[in-house]
Amino acid sequence: MSRARRIRAEVTAGWHSFLRRRTAVFFTFFFPVILVVIFGALVRTQPTDGGLFAEPGAYYIPGYLATVVLFTPLSRIGSEIARHRDGNRFEKLATTPLTRGEWLLAQTIVNIAIIGIACVLILGLVLAITDATIAPSIGLLWLGPLVVLGVVLFCGFGAILGRVSETQDGVIAASNTIALPLLFLSDTFIPLSLLPEWFVPAIELSPLTYFSRGVRAVTYPPAGDTLVPAIAILAGLAAVFFLAGAYAIPRTE
Amino acid sequence: MEHALVAEGIRREYDGTIAVDGVSLSVDRGEIFGLIGPNGAGKTTLIRALTGTTDAEGSVTLLGDAADAVDDARIGLLPQSFSPPDRLTPRELIDYYGDLYDDRRDTDAVLEDVGLTEAAETWYENLSGGQKRRACVGITLVNDPELLFLDEPTTGIDPAGRRSLWRLLESLADRGRTIFLTSHSMTEVQRLADRVGLIQAGSIVAVGEPTDLIAKHGGSSRLVIGTAEAVIEAAKTAIEAAGFDAAGGLEAVVVENVSPVEISAIVEAIEAAGIEYGSLTWTEPTLEDVYLELTGEAFEGVGTPGAGAIDRDGDAVDVSAEEGSA
Repeated sequence: MSRARRIRAEVTAGWHSFLRRRTAVFFTFFFPVILVVIFGALVRTQPTDGGLFAEPGAYYIPGYLATVVLFTPLSRIGSEIARHRDGNRFEKLATTPLTRGEWLLAQTIVNIAIIGIACVLILGLVLAITDATIAPSIGLLWLGPLVVLGVVLFCGFGAILGRVSETQDGVIAASNTIALPLLFLSDTFIPLSLLPEWFVPAIELSPLTYFSRGVRAVTYPPAGDTLVPAIAILAGLAAVFFLAGAYAIPRTE
Repeated sequence: MEHALVAEGIRREYDGTIAVDGVSLSVDRGEIFGLIGPNGAGKTTLIRALTGTTDAEGSVTLLGDAADAVDDARIGLLPQSFSPPDRLTPRELIDYYGDLYDDRRDTDAVLEDVGLTEAAETWYENLSGGQKRRACVGITLVNDPELLFLDEPTTGIDPAGRRSLWRLLESLADRGRTIFLTSHSMTEVQRLADRVGLIQAGSIVAVGEPTDLIAKHGGSSRLVIGTAEAVIEAAKTAIEAAGFDAAGGLEAVVVENVSPVEISAIVEAIEAAGIEYGSLTWTEPTLEDVYLELTGEAFEGVGTPGAGAIDRDGDAVDVSAEEGSA
């Protein structure tokens, strides 16, 4: 009961803090919208010629969802840690019963709520303005756990970034530097067939790859049944990154 | 009396620089202990060592338990330059930090304690500097701690807000709370603290009651009479004839060991001799003098109570850097 109360208090504070930063709210949702509009509606490719964006629209759904599942936790958690350090908030929290794991869990819950809403909006936008179609099926319910696991994973990653970066500027720079290549080299927007053979094994090293494959398995039937291995690996990585992230959160100055 | 805090051999080093060097001290329950020293003396590092928010050598006992075993709910910490989430209101901040504890004080009671009832619904970022610090102190009080660590709690607060916080801290002490306070305001520590520790370069150079330290190390009270250099000798003669020891200075005569009630006798003596003076400045020794005496360094903090000046019309013309009184 005490633990639930502590986490609820941290979630409430984090949720209010986020909602009251209107620019943060706006760009959290606007950034993926821009990508959907540019890559899904503006960029034209002749499918017979191959190349970028030559696959059917539904193929790219994992990429669009990945923009928020990847970027938002990395930058938000990292920045939050930097803000906490600047304001000596961790020093204060270290003398309260709140643990590092509880703090990260609460921040993760806030991110799950934000990103969950963003994913629904993105999915609707993709279906509305691109040629993507999704056949209704019970399997689509797996999108929820996939998004949750992806957010947990990258919240942990963001906590590690926040620990190693000393300032908010540093966090933003580091998260962009890491997230941008991950976004395009994780079996998201670029099919493996367009990459050099020697590079393909490196794709397996990206945690985002398993999110992408899991989402594609339930939204793009031609991808084949890769859901179980993808979600299993994603769950394992989420647990490892969350624990590492919780450990990385500073408790002393 | 039972100790609320016992620290032995606290030492903390950063990259070869010793921030705290073998500090040992104890604080009694219900006591306000003021740690004073200039910026960089080691105050914040010592508080961090005592609260376990930095790794340090030595041992710390809080409320009878080892520092890492004491119940968090019994301790309250206001870190230096603490800044809570700035788009929450004081009410939300009190609720947030309060809900981190099993037993917590009523939000309205805390807001009333720190005088923020009317500003309870204003975002933290829109509060004045004084209101912000009071909100931070309120956050520290949510769990009704027995032992409070306050690292420069009044920095950045206007004089009225500072006095309001002082009264709050005094009322907490009256209710049996133990307060470990750091400050670089001599005025603050001299007013609040039952005992004072002076810290220089990571070492405690003296501990004691302010009045004892001042009596032992602060020197005597003095009256400085500003006057023309040409009449200094005549002024000295007149003052000595009235029964006081006087010494000449640069455009001033200095009279040592003068109590406030003796000032009028000296003024009458020089006026009877027809000597004009520009100002009278009476000072009593302060902790600042103690610090200077013990460390050989002028204190660069703020506030020296006990200094005042009067021009020949009887108007106050000069007080201490902060808010001293004549």
